[in-house]
Amino acid sequence: MSQPDEESGLRIEGRRARDARRHSHEAMHTVFEVYALHPDARYAAQAAEAALALTQRLERDLSRFIANSDISRINRLEAGEATRVSLETLECLVIARHMFEVTDGAFDISIGTGLSSIELDEDALVVRATQPGVRLDLGGIGKGYAVDLMADVLEEWGLRVALVHGGFSSVLALDGPVDGEGWPLTLSDPAAPARVLARLSACQTSIGASGLVKGDHIVDPRTGEPVRGRRAAWVAAPRPATRGQAAADGAPRLAVTAVTDALTTACMVMSVDEITALCARSPGLEAWVLEDHGQDGAGEAGLRHFGGMHSDGPVALQTGDA
Amino acid sequence: MAGEDGKDKVAPRTTEGQRKLDRRDVLMGLSTVPALGLFGYAWRKQNQVKQAAARAAVAPREAAAAGDVREVNVALLGAGAQGQVLTEAMQRIPGLRFRAVCDIWTEYNQRRVVNTLKRYGHEVNGYVDYREMLDKEPAIEAVVIATPDFWHAEHAIACMKAGKHVYCEKEMSNTLEGARNMVLAARETGKLLQIGHQRRSNPRYIHCHDKLLKEANLLGRIVTVNGQWNRAVAADLGAPDRYAIPQATLTQFGFKDMHQFRNWRWYKGLGGGPIVDLGSHQIDIYSWFLGSNPTHVTASGGLLYHDPKTHEWYDTVMVIYDYMTPAGPAKAYYQTQTTNGSQGYFETFMGDQGTLLISESELNNPGSIYRDPNAPAWDAWIQKGYIGAPVIPEAKDEEEGASGAIADVRESAAPDRHKVPVALTDPYHQPHLQNFFDAVRGKARLNCPAEVGYESAVAVLKVNEAIESNTRLAFRPEDFKVGGEA
Repeated sequence: MSQPDEESGLRIEGRRARDARRHSHEAMHTVFEVYALHPDARYAAQAAEAALALTQRLERDLSRFIANSDISRINRLEAGEATRVSLETLECLVIARHMFEVTDGAFDISIGTGLSSIELDEDALVVRATQPGVRLDLGGIGKGYAVDLMADVLEEWGLRVALVHGGFSSVLALDGPVDGEGWPLTLSDPAAPARVLARLSACQTSIGASGLVKGDHIVDPRTGEPVRGRRAAWVAAPRPATRGQAAADGAPRLAVTAVTDALTTACMVMSVDEITALCARSPGLEAWVLEDHGQDGAGEAGLRHFGGMHSDGPVALQTGDA
Repeated sequence: MAGEDGKDKVAPRTTEGQRKLDRRDVLMGLSTVPALGLFGYAWRKQNQVKQAAARAAVAPREAAAAGDVREVNVALLGAGAQGQVLTEAMQRIPGLRFRAVCDIWTEYNQRRVVNTLKRYGHEVNGYVDYREMLDKEPAIEAVVIATPDFWHAEHAIACMKAGKHVYCEKEMSNTLEGARNMVLAARETGKLLQIGHQRRSNPRYIHCHDKLLKEANLLGRIVTVNGQWNRAVAADLGAPDRYAIPQATLTQFGFKDMHQFRNWRWYKGLGGGPIVDLGSHQIDIYSWFLGSNPTHVTASGGLLYHDPKTHEWYDTVMVIYDYMTPAGPAKAYYQTQTTNGSQGYFETFMGDQGTLLISESELNNPGSIYRDPNAPAWDAWIQKGYIGAPVIPEAKDEEEGASGAIADVRESAAPDRHKVPVALTDPYHQPHLQNFFDAVRGKARLNCPAEVGYESAVAVLKVNEAIESNTRLAFRPEDFKVGGEA
């Protein structure tokens, strides 16, 4: 298979990051990887394996391509029918629905087939359809959700210096490889990967990426029309410190990579005003959009930045030399 | 969601001008957002929505169905990876009430499964010792056993003697003696004992066996079988340091150390290695579809790759079984290796009129049947819906057709491919568990009762013996019987 998600425009760079041991596994049509630094390489490999094993289990629940997944069963529901799902499926659907609301429909796992006709019963872990014909696709959120759960496993094992990603389109950085510094990441133009647009240092941060290579298109679920003028989008948000504790207490967990994964798709279709407003009401949220003013991704492309904790206007990003 | 309120929290920047996405600074912003920010809000909102909506608007299908069936009290004995898969699958089966979970890894797997079950609304107690569980939970009617193989016989027999019906994972036992005693205990107690060869309840396998092979005889005479389960190299299983089981407990339950507890499948006296863990499922299908047990086994295997200090069983096994089927002799090949996952797992049955390629996976090789070009047309079976219409292959390259030859004489003409139009729409183990609970309620016969599981164990456990002795071993028909059959 070809390198999946080649167009995400998000990369890891730097010598220290390369020192981290890398473990990978293919699932959900992408490659999940764990970078981890730990004194005991065998222990770290076992932890990574335990985390990566989750991706397969989640794929079994969340993939619409697998006939006996929770999502496939939901997609077959007639009006008035219901099906029981796993805790993970339900949690992912709850986040997806919230992202639908937060983005005013720009992120829609039903791709316009009617998310409102799906009812989620959290107590009974049951999903119910009020109308037939809804078709859910968690492609824009499932990978990020998997990455969040993988990070929980790594922490459970005591691995703190780690980075987890799915196809580099859903990235979660835990503690950085060197004290006080994050994981060095680059944002680059998916149409010209050598063109580095920005360098980030990320720790306890989730970053989602969405991009187009030549010939691809993305459809706005609100209009059904293909989106023009966008080549890539990235969204970053801090990983809440309380996640592990909340999960232990049975409180809602904060799956931040699922959130950035969803928002990055939304940022490919939302207007500049909408993105600005979203970032304004969500402190900590940060977004970048690579605009495409030319034809077929060949022309000028400008990077726009939104949100973040910086109140003093656009930040001087270190730009690439291309 | 709160408005902008982080104006005074400017993140530090490095001298290189790099952005710092520093967690603390951002969190200070986030922590002021009501209801845990972006996502916590979602959960709260969901709850409000749910409370507002009339919960009983439409009863769930499962709940509705549950009203028609008698509730069965269930315990899980063995809460590891397989126990968790079975637990998940059982949540979709109506009328089950979990009462207890027994596992020696209290701090990890037991706690996890207990919490999951509580989330699903079951009031369950956790136990370390199955005897205590059987003493204190008299209401349990059925026990699902997913402990390591070397515990199966003791656990299953004790449960049946305590009056419980048992669903026991395969391999039935790591020894034939253990497996035999399980069959005898089932007979003595009159309790049900279903062995977890779950393909026996898979609708696609049942369709292939009953309709395509038996009724339509689409393959003609099956002469050869081929199958495999290949797995890529994986690290040994470990455990988070902080959740290690005390050594005294490990010793009490037959494990040398935590590593052996987690990797028991690789150890002699505990498990049977990949041929038993993986091969057992598929070799069981060989005998089922061929309608007979093997007469001989030839096998080669070894520990070619993994560390002998932590792996005792063979990581690579190749087996040939001889069968004398009702239709004539047949040979079946099977391989399992754990160094390369090429093509995963599947079974291929090859007859003089067609080929059936099948696997349990809904993703890879779920089911195709190929008609030999010389076989009679299958149109009637397509019309009956037994098989799909031929899948049109993609157009061949221009170049290939340009040679002018009608057919390449070195190769047989390509057969038509038809899909097997039956998919499993429930989680993988659900139908086999459903069959068990239907039987508990007196509404079905077990698809894999103890006697059938025993026959499969005889065929599979002999492989390790054949490798060790490096000789072709014979089976006598009576080897597959425990004796005293009615």
